[in-house]
Amino acid sequence: MIPATFEYHSPRSLREAIDLLSAKEDVKILAGGQSLVPLMKLRLAKPKHLIDLGRIPGLNTIKEQGESILIGALTTHAELESSELLRRRCPLLPQTASTIGDVQVRSQGTIGGSLAHADPAGDLPAAVLALGAEIKAVGPRGERWIRTEDFFFGLLMTALEPDEILTDIKVPVLERARTAYLKAAQRTSGFAVVGVAACLKLDPAGGCEEIALGITGVTDKTYRPDDVETRLRGKKLETKLIEEAASGVCRNVDVLDDINGSKEYRTHLARVYTFRAIEAALRA
Amino acid sequence: MAETKYVGKTIRGKEAPRHVSGRGNFVDDIVLRGMLHAVILRSPHAHARIAKVDAEAALNHPGVLSVVTPADVQSMTRPFKPGRYAAGLTKPIFEYATAVDKVRYVGEPVAAVAARDRGSAEDALELISVDYEPLPAVVDTRDAMSPTSPPLFEELGANLAWRGVLTYGNIEAAFAEADQIVRERLKIHRYSSTPLEPFACIASFDASTQKLTVWVNAQVPEVIYDALREALGLEDVRVIIPDIGGSFGQKIHLIRKYVVITSLLALKSRRPVKWIEDRSEHMMAAGHACAQEFDVEAAVKRDGTVLGLRFKEIDDVGGSVSTLTIHFTNKLNNLTNTYKVQNISMEGYSVVTNKCPVVPNRGIGKPGMCFIWERIMDRIAEALSLSPIEVRQVNLVPPDQFPYTTPNGNVYDSGDYPALLQQALKSIGYEKFREEQRREREKGRLLGIGVVVGVEPGGRNAARDLAIFPEMKETPGSGGVNGATIKLEKNGTVALFLGSPNSGQSHETTSAQVAADILGISTEKISTSTPFDSDLAPWGVAAANSGNNFHLYDIGAVHGAATRLKEKILKLAAHVLDAAPAELTIENGTVHAPGSPLKKVTFAELGKIAYGNQALMPKGFEAGLQTTFYYTFPHADTNLVPGSDRKVRAQFTFSAAAHAVIVEVDRHTGKVHVLRYLIVSDNGVVINPRVVEGQAYGSAAHGISVALGEGFIYNSEGQLLTITLTDYGKSSTLETPRIEIEHHPVPSPFTALGQKAAGEGAAIPSPAAIASAVEDALRPLGVKVRELPLTPEAVWRLIKNAQGGNSKFEIRNSK
Amino acid sequence: MRHNISVRVNDRLYEEEVEPRLLLPYFLRENVGLTGTHVGCVIGECGACTILLDGKLVKSCLLFAAQADGKSILTVEGLGQNGSLHPVQEAFIEHYGLQCGYCTPGMVLAAYYLLSKNPDPSEAEIRVGLAGNLCMCTGYVQIVEAVKAAANRMRQA
Repeated sequence: MIPATFEYHSPRSLREAIDLLSAKEDVKILAGGQSLVPLMKLRLAKPKHLIDLGRIPGLNTIKEQGESILIGALTTHAELESSELLRRRCPLLPQTASTIGDVQVRSQGTIGGSLAHADPAGDLPAAVLALGAEIKAVGPRGERWIRTEDFFFGLLMTALEPDEILTDIKVPVLERARTAYLKAAQRTSGFAVVGVAACLKLDPAGGCEEIALGITGVTDKTYRPDDVETRLRGKKLETKLIEEAASGVCRNVDVLDDINGSKEYRTHLARVYTFRAIEAALRA
Repeated sequence: MAETKYVGKTIRGKEAPRHVSGRGNFVDDIVLRGMLHAVILRSPHAHARIAKVDAEAALNHPGVLSVVTPADVQSMTRPFKPGRYAAGLTKPIFEYATAVDKVRYVGEPVAAVAARDRGSAEDALELISVDYEPLPAVVDTRDAMSPTSPPLFEELGANLAWRGVLTYGNIEAAFAEADQIVRERLKIHRYSSTPLEPFACIASFDASTQKLTVWVNAQVPEVIYDALREALGLEDVRVIIPDIGGSFGQKIHLIRKYVVITSLLALKSRRPVKWIEDRSEHMMAAGHACAQEFDVEAAVKRDGTVLGLRFKEIDDVGGSVSTLTIHFTNKLNNLTNTYKVQNISMEGYSVVTNKCPVVPNRGIGKPGMCFIWERIMDRIAEALSLSPIEVRQVNLVPPDQFPYTTPNGNVYDSGDYPALLQQALKSIGYEKFREEQRREREKGRLLGIGVVVGVEPGGRNAARDLAIFPEMKETPGSGGVNGATIKLEKNGTVALFLGSPNSGQSHETTSAQVAADILGISTEKISTSTPFDSDLAPWGVAAANSGNNFHLYDIGAVHGAATRLKEKILKLAAHVLDAAPAELTIENGTVHAPGSPLKKVTFAELGKIAYGNQALMPKGFEAGLQTTFYYTFPHADTNLVPGSDRKVRAQFTFSAAAHAVIVEVDRHTGKVHVLRYLIVSDNGVVINPRVVEGQAYGSAAHGISVALGEGFIYNSEGQLLTITLTDYGKSSTLETPRIEIEHHPVPSPFTALGQKAAGEGAAIPSPAAIASAVEDALRPLGVKVRELPLTPEAVWRLIKNAQGGNSKFEIRNSK
Repeated sequence: MRHNISVRVNDRLYEEEVEPRLLLPYFLRENVGLTGTHVGCVIGECGACTILLDGKLVKSCLLFAAQADGKSILTVEGLGQNGSLHPVQEAFIEHYGLQCGYCTPGMVLAAYYLLSKNPDPSEAEIRVGLAGNLCMCTGYVQIVEAVKAAANRMRQA
């Protein structure tokens, strides 16, 4: 229950946080704590230093910047859910955030924490992948933008270097896009057994101009099912076609097998939810 | 006197104000000066020998004052003697508070540390080194049945630790006479009611008086009291039980191990020691409800009459023999359910496995018995092309036969099962639903309805197990005993002391209602007692926090004590008012004599006399206004102690209910949505409707959750994969359906107020109700529901397999 | 290294020196002496420890006391004014929205928070608002009724 001892640092600036991150050994970043603190309480994680980003000002703003929206890493899921700007200009994020955990988790959990933690069943990773978002990492060597398709490496592994901090997420303003996030939720926690984020654009004739899907819960990281997208891009989205395309959502994917779903069932659920998410986006 | 001014009404609860203000008094809220904090080292292996335990480094860790190892436990304590729960054990197997030379389940306690603060204790725990020699884990029940599986208890030789058969009536004749034999095999899984507050205890030893005091959230004081005296050889033990954060049978049995461990730390360190269990520990080691497999056969006539029922059950009791047969013996309580069958045979097998030991979780074997009955009824209906309702109606005990004696000796006090069933059918709109079901099936929707009935027995008879184990060496006692004390204070208020602890069933409130009606005083003038204190409380063998026992023993004791107190009050008042006791009336705490409105005396005035004014007392009057009453069930004669015919009153009162549930199954995901869940319940005279309803809602919600997915999962190495509530699958507000209840009370002629049990209640039929409804929904696909839980994947597989295992991937027409 | 923190709890300021690993519910229970905030699990999945931190509904067991420095906390003991109970508390009593009481402080705060954001919630919205608070006793039925009743009473006030 009680974590192993550690030193607690509460920097007041990003610079200070980065310096600490570089200077200390065996260090973890504390954002919302919804993923890290449980691991520490179970003594599965025993960092010697904890850097709390919570007192650094300016890390939770949401602002429009040209054709993008810049979201601070410490923006909570609740703030994503209730943001008027996002609801109008990038609804996939509030749609996804509203399905995360419960009220308390949404009050505390942050988008930066969620992406940096890269839980294979995380909801926001699927959404940002479908949005083609970019992630800003800041470290002692400066700052860089990482495309989401280059960000998620594997089970709890991302492109972030150990001395970098995720500070912002840049998402596109969606013009005429139809979005949805659906998941088969685990009891109790609402975690995705399978989650599908769908982002579509139709051309004036009603054909599929653009489609991007983010799949979570299926394998060790979130991914874009290229097969499915290729089959639907440029076509008229008839039910039968969507169904056929959805059946390929797990092609070449190593599907997870655990107490929440066998490989076989999960594969099936992924197809069902891919179909349903696309249909839901169409109706949006 | 207003006989039922309070009984029958929902009054403002007495416990609620402190809880909504955060002023409950739970064990962890108690602090003693100089108190240490304990943590427990648990086995990471399912099955292993303990070669060596080295706690030196832990003992030397800063802040640590005491360590307990298996060697300490063996030298400083005596083992628990196999008790009533271990009935059937042929060789004496003594279990200690911790593992000693072997561990038999992941999470089994091995050692413990007490330190100045919890963090230091946990740090020190990591310094204890234990050399284990892992042994092959016995996990699968079938493997455990095999004589070649590695034995958990060498003394027993085999893991099939008990088998037995009990037959009532003439089962061979029944099967010979039958028009048809209907068979089914069923399975239910391991689960738990997971009380939100895990185990907690504080032990404090006063060396000068050699008195051990423990504060513990245990349900049955006697278990703790006996365990401490047996294990530690202490005569003077005091057990204090404050508010309990939920119990459900989880806090009866294995909790005694931890009280002994904590007490040992207290004795060694000479300081009070507090131990608070973590959720993950509770999931691994506090106890599970037994996984059971049933092989059922019913001998039936063409009209659906069940001539005889025969079943074989295999109970996976986990890594201890101390609860060897409880899930089997408890079936005597509801063996014939609500049916008039005369011939019934039960065969039991208990296997030990390398999993958490089983404990008497809510229902204890009775949900299994009801599952057997209600699944076989549906199967019979199918086999005979009758409706599942008809089959049940044909077999129900008719209302004019009460009190009704079952073939195994239960005397059902009262009931009207056909009326419960009828009301349930009416309120759920059964016929209308069937039409809707037909229409919607054509559109591809899978709607289903399940209607089941279940009896809820109540009121313990300690002699019950003699029916199966007449050779029990330790006399288990018989019937039940519990007491209550009522005192009229000298300021005219009343103090009520129960003989049982309290864990959310509103015992303080309902007992105050009963006392208030008898005494003629407002419930607001009655103060009730929590904590339970074994030094002061009038407790007996039936002192147990359970709705099952409370309604009979505690209410009976309160009724008796209040009645006796009223007699004393009237005797004194009669003397003071110069009237005859029979002429007096009581209203609102004032005794009135006829003749003049001035001829009255208040309780406060009587109190002042009784506690201080000898001259005004009648001759021979025992001073004071306090009475204690120990209740035993007055109508227990028939079948109280089983004779050679093995007939016994397993319990004394019999509530019953009909459950009706409508579900929809999403064929593509296997998810089951409960659209309506209705209970029509007979709990006898209801003392407080909201309390009884709360018990029904809570127990139904749990049964539904068990049926639809919550449960424990072990891997083949005996590792528990579900140690968090999340992985286990506990239901939140989002997974729990709305539940409706209608009361249909049929008073008991035998109890003080006509009241019957309400506690285990809806947990008994609800798994069967869900199974029935899901099967009904999937009938057109040829699915049979035989196993729980019905997780989405399990349902999806049932559908897939029924369709030849080759379901076309077609997701249109999805909901 | 211990930290000096200054936390406002139910409008009263507490200045304490704490170990970094001191979890917030234990700070409240032991340092501040308010035992209404309960602990029912390890990984923050049960909601028994729910409090309001700077007006947000959070699970205190996933926070370290040090993180609460300079912040303001409302626990269940802080509801209600001058000895009288808050309408949410009254409704829970009246409608028997509790049995053992262990989940109750967290549940009452979750209900209070819900009604502060949504004064007229539907049953579905109530269930979503309380989804982070597990109850093992009640089956949630009477809890939902209590919240509805509290909403009605507060709207009429």
